[in-house]
Amino acid sequence: MGTFIQLVVDGLATGSIYVALALAIVLVNQATGLINFAQGGMAVLSAYIAYAFVQLGLPLVLAILISIILSFLLGAVVERFLLRRFEGGDPDTAVVVTIGLLTLVTGICAVLWGYNNLGFPSLFPLTSVELLGAVVSVRSLATAVTIVVIMVVLQLLFLRTKLGLALRAVADNPASAAFSGLPVGRLLMVGWGLAATLGAIAGVLVAPQLTLTPGMLDTALVYALAAVILGGLDSPIGCVVAASAIGVLENLVAVYIPLIGHDLKIAVPFALIFVILIIRPQGLFGRKVVVRV
Amino acid sequence: MKMRKKPGGVLGIVALTAAVALSLSGCRGDSGGQGGGSASSPGITDSAITLGITTPLSGATAGPGKCTVAGVSAYFGAVNAAGGVKFGDGKTRTVNIKSYDDAYDPQKSLANFQQMVSDNVFAATAGLGTPTNRAFRDAAISQKVPQVLVMTGDPLFSDRKQSPWQLGFVPIYQNEGAAFGKLLAKSGGQHKVAILSQNDDYGKGYVSGFKEAIQGASNISVVGEQTYEATDTSVDAQLTQLASSGADVFFNAMSITPLTIAALQKAQQIGWKPSWFLPSNTSSPTAILEPGGASAYPGIYSVSFAKAPQSPAFAKDPDVVKFLDELKQYGNYPDMPAFPHCMWSYMVGATLEKAFQNMKEPTRDSFMTALRDIKDLKAPLMLEGTSVNTTTDGQPAVSSVVVQKYNGKGYATAENFG
Repeated sequence: MGTFIQLVVDGLATGSIYVALALAIVLVNQATGLINFAQGGMAVLSAYIAYAFVQLGLPLVLAILISIILSFLLGAVVERFLLRRFEGGDPDTAVVVTIGLLTLVTGICAVLWGYNNLGFPSLFPLTSVELLGAVVSVRSLATAVTIVVIMVVLQLLFLRTKLGLALRAVADNPASAAFSGLPVGRLLMVGWGLAATLGAIAGVLVAPQLTLTPGMLDTALVYALAAVILGGLDSPIGCVVAASAIGVLENLVAVYIPLIGHDLKIAVPFALIFVILIIRPQGLFGRKVVVRV
Repeated sequence: MKMRKKPGGVLGIVALTAAVALSLSGCRGDSGGQGGGSASSPGITDSAITLGITTPLSGATAGPGKCTVAGVSAYFGAVNAAGGVKFGDGKTRTVNIKSYDDAYDPQKSLANFQQMVSDNVFAATAGLGTPTNRAFRDAAISQKVPQVLVMTGDPLFSDRKQSPWQLGFVPIYQNEGAAFGKLLAKSGGQHKVAILSQNDDYGKGYVSGFKEAIQGASNISVVGEQTYEATDTSVDAQLTQLASSGADVFFNAMSITPLTIAALQKAQQIGWKPSWFLPSNTSSPTAILEPGGASAYPGIYSVSFAKAPQSPAFAKDPDVVKFLDELKQYGNYPDMPAFPHCMWSYMVGATLEKAFQNMKEPTRDSFMTALRDIKDLKAPLMLEGTSVNTTTDGQPAVSSVVVQKYNGKGYATAENFG
């Protein structure tokens, strides 16, 4: 029983890495209608920026704040000068552009900081507490709490604020949004800026555990995308639930179904996606998209 | 050290066409001995021999890669300055090193090998990387160019039937696993072992070496065995599972730095404090053990065959002093080496010199014969209990390692387990 609970807790901790990235992907999708494959790469760049300021002797919290502000600007600039040219066109083209952006950002990080693993200081201590007979590190716990807070803020932003409504309107139908007087361009920039901010938070939360390398979030991105599809592209709560479920399920399956084991467990979330999408194409928590004819 | 300059556009095409034409016509340039008589192989004259190193000089593995060039260059820089090597045929030659950057990319290392052939290189040596060395192994065999004392733990390179023109330098994965297994078996105490390994040749090699060594030792039992993928972001679940086995020894054949750190942290968090074994390339005191909080465990064991120049115990060792001095002067490497590959490739230099002294004719055949006949050479920087021995089929030049135990700062040789 102790092992079982520990595996669940471990799964939640691993899942929280995926969640952090998945939330940023949901945010971009809500604000622009796109899936941004470069989200992981941008988060890594933000973490490197924070690292650079720590190296300059700034306190960690201050370095993270500066990185968050710079990331917001960077996200907005990327939208304004790169993605803007592909918006309104074929969404597939824009997606390919974000994949290109991922390669570019990874390359830039590699040139500036190299491929060696860099130790990133943690905001939270490495001590652990006992919870229902399982041991959980304060770092994982704090990461999870931070993520839940972000999730609630996002949910409120989209559903309870004028900005959220405007962002959704622009993503849903840019032409109509423009006709009703919304500054479409500026809102798209804000959407990307916010997503980059969220990416920055995700980056600095997971960097202490994964250690900083240009490809730090590549595998996590695959899981985050799985979580986003599973939970519903428009649902922050959905992707938190889905990513946590993936983390836990993977662990349990690997340990209790010897046929699958640790080597095949990566297939589990994707098998799940097939099944769920056949039954519920909009994802577990997503809303059905209704197209009026 | 000479760096390769890319031939300019037109010149490059001409050179390439010429090279292709040469190889097509079946002329392998054995007349190209450059005044060394018609019998001598390419790359060796009466006064000089040219060696080639293809290794990562840029990209993720550039740190260790630069070391492989620096060590050999330092060794032969000093030898050349003293006049050169007196070969077995009575002539004294200087040793030239040409280095080629493959960025750990197998495609590039193959191209570099072809370049070496057209650059009249006598033998390829010291290059780092399993996939990169594998990439041109077939070409080296068919062109009969020695590819020797390369830095890979892959046993393929030390199998004489399959690799007649090859020889690995560093211990194969099995050697490392076996060294720890032997120490554990002879400890006499009852020990339960949990094994975690990377799901590839690397992990499997370590585990098979270890298991062979503990075979028949009734005091050692393996109570849990798990694997992970090199791309995994976490091994928490495996550790939780292995911890529940109650093992007091943890054999962790892991090559990924951040995972090793995270594993060291995770196991102590869940209250599992066994003795650890870690492979030589993931046991760095500063990069892994300190951030992982390794002092919490009763013992961290690893293996080595080189003196660590940064260790206070070797600060005044004459080998180490001479090595650091030559590394600075001839190796173009002014810093304290951060990777053991600098020391390893320095030993490669000493091993090659021994083979040169014993080769009777200026040919590649004669060189291979001499190289495979070195017994118990104490190359500079080698730890007590290790030596270069090239006479055993299936074993690399260095197959002897000593188990070392972490003492909170660095490593000290462990005579006994516990």
